[in-house]
Amino acid sequence: MRATCWMGKQNVSVERVPDPQILNARDAIVKVTATTICGSDLHLYNGFMPGMQKGDILGHEFMGEVVDVGKGVKNLKAGDRVVVPFAIACGNCESCQLGNFSCCENANPNGWVTEKLMGHATCGAFGYSHLTGGFAGGQAEYVRVPYADFGPLKVPSTLRDEQVLFLSDIFPTGYMGAEQCEITPRKVIAVWGAGPVGQLAIASARMLGAEKVIVIDRFPYRLDLAVKKAGATDVINYAETDRVHEALLDLTAGRGPDACIDCVGLEAHGYGVEYTYDKVKQTLKLQLDRPIAVRDAIMACRNAGIVSILGVYAGLVDKFPLGALMNRGLTIKTGQCHVHRYMKPLLERIERGEIDPSFVVTHRIPLSDAPRGYAMFREKQDGCIKVVLDPAA
Amino acid sequence: MNPISQVRSDSRSQQIDNGTGNGIGLSRGLGLLGVGLGVTELAFPRALAGVVGVDARGPASSTIVRAMGVREIASGVALLAAPAHPAPLWTRVVGDAIDLGLLGLALTTRGSNRRRLAIALGAIAGIAAIDIFASRRRALASRRASVIAAVTINKPPLEVYEFFRKLEHLPQFMDYLASVEVLGPRRSRWTAVLPVGGTASWEAEILEDRPGSALSWCSVEGSPIQTRGRVTFTRTPGRNMTEIRVELQLAVLGGGPSTTLARLFARPQIKADLRRLKQVLETGEVLYSDASQHQLPHPAQPSLPGRRDAAPRTFIENPPTARKGGTP
Ligand SMILES: NC(=O)c1ccc[n+]([C@@H]2O[C@H](COP(=O)([O-])OP(=O)(O)OC[C@H]3O[C@@H](n4cnc5c(N)ncnc54)[C@H](O)[C@@H]3O)[C@@H](O)[C@H]2O)c1
Ligand SMILES: [Zn+2]
Ligand SMILES: [Zn+2]
Repeated sequence: MRATCWMGKQNVSVERVPDPQILNARDAIVKVTATTICGSDLHLYNGFMPGMQKGDILGHEFMGEVVDVGKGVKNLKAGDRVVVPFAIACGNCESCQLGNFSCCENANPNGWVTEKLMGHATCGAFGYSHLTGGFAGGQAEYVRVPYADFGPLKVPSTLRDEQVLFLSDIFPTGYMGAEQCEITPRKVIAVWGAGPVGQLAIASARMLGAEKVIVIDRFPYRLDLAVKKAGATDVINYAETDRVHEALLDLTAGRGPDACIDCVGLEAHGYGVEYTYDKVKQTLKLQLDRPIAVRDAIMACRNAGIVSILGVYAGLVDKFPLGALMNRGLTIKTGQCHVHRYMKPLLERIERGEIDPSFVVTHRIPLSDAPRGYAMFREKQDGCIKVVLDPAA
Repeated sequence: MNPISQVRSDSRSQQIDNGTGNGIGLSRGLGLLGVGLGVTELAFPRALAGVVGVDARGPASSTIVRAMGVREIASGVALLAAPAHPAPLWTRVVGDAIDLGLLGLALTTRGSNRRRLAIALGAIAGIAAIDIFASRRRALASRRASVIAAVTINKPPLEVYEFFRKLEHLPQFMDYLASVEVLGPRRSRWTAVLPVGGTASWEAEILEDRPGSALSWCSVEGSPIQTRGRVTFTRTPGRNMTEIRVELQLAVLGGGPSTTLARLFARPQIKADLRRLKQVLETGEVLYSDASQHQLPHPAQPSLPGRRDAAPRTFIENPPTARKGGTP
């Protein structure tokens, strides 16, 4: 089959590789009908996530048709149309029973490495480095899905691929980011980053009843979409002002946003000395992350407010405003999305017409064009927000 | 003499070896001494050379003293980072030998103060003796120590015990075991696949068998491989899950440790075994990824030749028990 392989920093190529096989009784093989490039893939592409190996198949947001199941899978059969959650979770361990699926205790065969780096192991994930288990990803014609009797969600044929595809990752992620803000109508929410995750966090915040949602980014086309489609009420373009903090205080008459969502992650960009400082440290591999957005979010957040972190971080950071966090009684809520928690209820919302997450799609290209897709998404060229890859084209 | 010391009879007490009895305190002291001396050598090479009686006027001798300082700091830091490990201690011994050699050389050089040099030589010889003593003691201690590892399994203690008590199940999660054959109510024959190729086999006898709470075994008298193991099963506080703790000791008759086998029993191996046991009991099987099914590094992409491992793959039907999200 053909699959998008990581070949090194900023180098991906579509290669011929062996077809996946059933390795475990609870596996399924899925023929991929639609898959995407996620902001998280950019961290791998740009070489900021440790634990990649040349030849790794990328991709963790995908859907398709079941073609084969292992002997332990009773609830799926060949022909079923499914969306697959990016997090691999067993459905048996205590973390899974508590609903913390991205902390599954069994799904990461390389858990011991993660344990060394982060204190405890995390779940497995498709195409997301050997730290999450070394599973082949979904930017391919076929993919092996472990714990297929638990993860995949069957979707009705009345909905188009693009309407349900993002149930795999960014829609539950954006929704979880908003849910963590404990939204009530009087709460003002600020969202850093107007990428696909930010767009769906904004849309979810509005869906959950927030009256005022402020979005911060530097790309006018992304800010436009945030207002026109996602429902943001106010915009701050940080390329046009060096006073984001003051702008947020103005918009909230001095209170600061009640909750802040970081949808940027470890490659945050900026203009100040701070950005240069972090970038130098990151280049020298003294630090894996550039935590600019999360620092700003903490400083801006209202006293006793909530900072919801969706952006992905990998390691240790410095210049972290711990004093502000502590003295002003802030709460941090974060995590890789517990996708399994949200897929079904969000599918129901899509079916009821409360939301259509496909508004983020800007590019539909064949799988063989994946290298172009990565470059374009990285450079934010051609109005690019979300790239959907078609393995059949 | 049996190189295996008694396995602690009550591992519930959870006393982890804090090391003071095994000379870890001494290792830390030597580490600090090394860093202190090294910093002095780096900062005041001339003054120090004067104290030990070396003629420090030439630029060369300053450089040598500084280099000695760097070496002292490096081995000192290594020792502080891993005081339980014999290796950094041995690097100190090597360093002592170099220092002694250099001072001996200085004795023959003109301009040196022989009386001071003799005192310095004596002092370094003394430190070297302590270093050798400490490294031998650590090497011995780490050879004798048992390995302890633990994991929590989402099943009641009796169920975990019952699975474990059927010793023929062990190869399902101890991936270096080819088989465990039950010979009688207490006797069993264990066969391991060695990483260097070939197999090793030994017989073991169950010593203690307390259903739902503890199990221990020991290799029989005269086995080529002597092992002793104890497993305890404890209920987690407030929940009916199992805290399983394993303590293992291993030695080969006739003294020295067998390195390949000892590796198998090292802590990472036992932790990995326990993680697989958890997978088997909770999910029904050991989970493999495209990369992890290979023993050597492999990219995360499908491969035609499957995995090579000792145990056959088994699956115990065990449907998911967690609930996915309902309507919010
Ligand atoms: N927690 C999860 O489960 C999860 C799931 C999916 C994605 N993510 C993460 O979410 C993040 C965003 O993903 P995406 O797909 O939207 O990527 P993206 O690259 O399209 O979006 C990032 C956006 O942040 C903006 N940005 C950069 N620096 C900024 C700053 N200082 N202030 C404000 N905006 C800034 C960029 O201009 C860009 O528009 C990534 O880190 C990704 O890894 C997390
Ligand atoms: Zn993603
Ligand atoms: Zn789990």
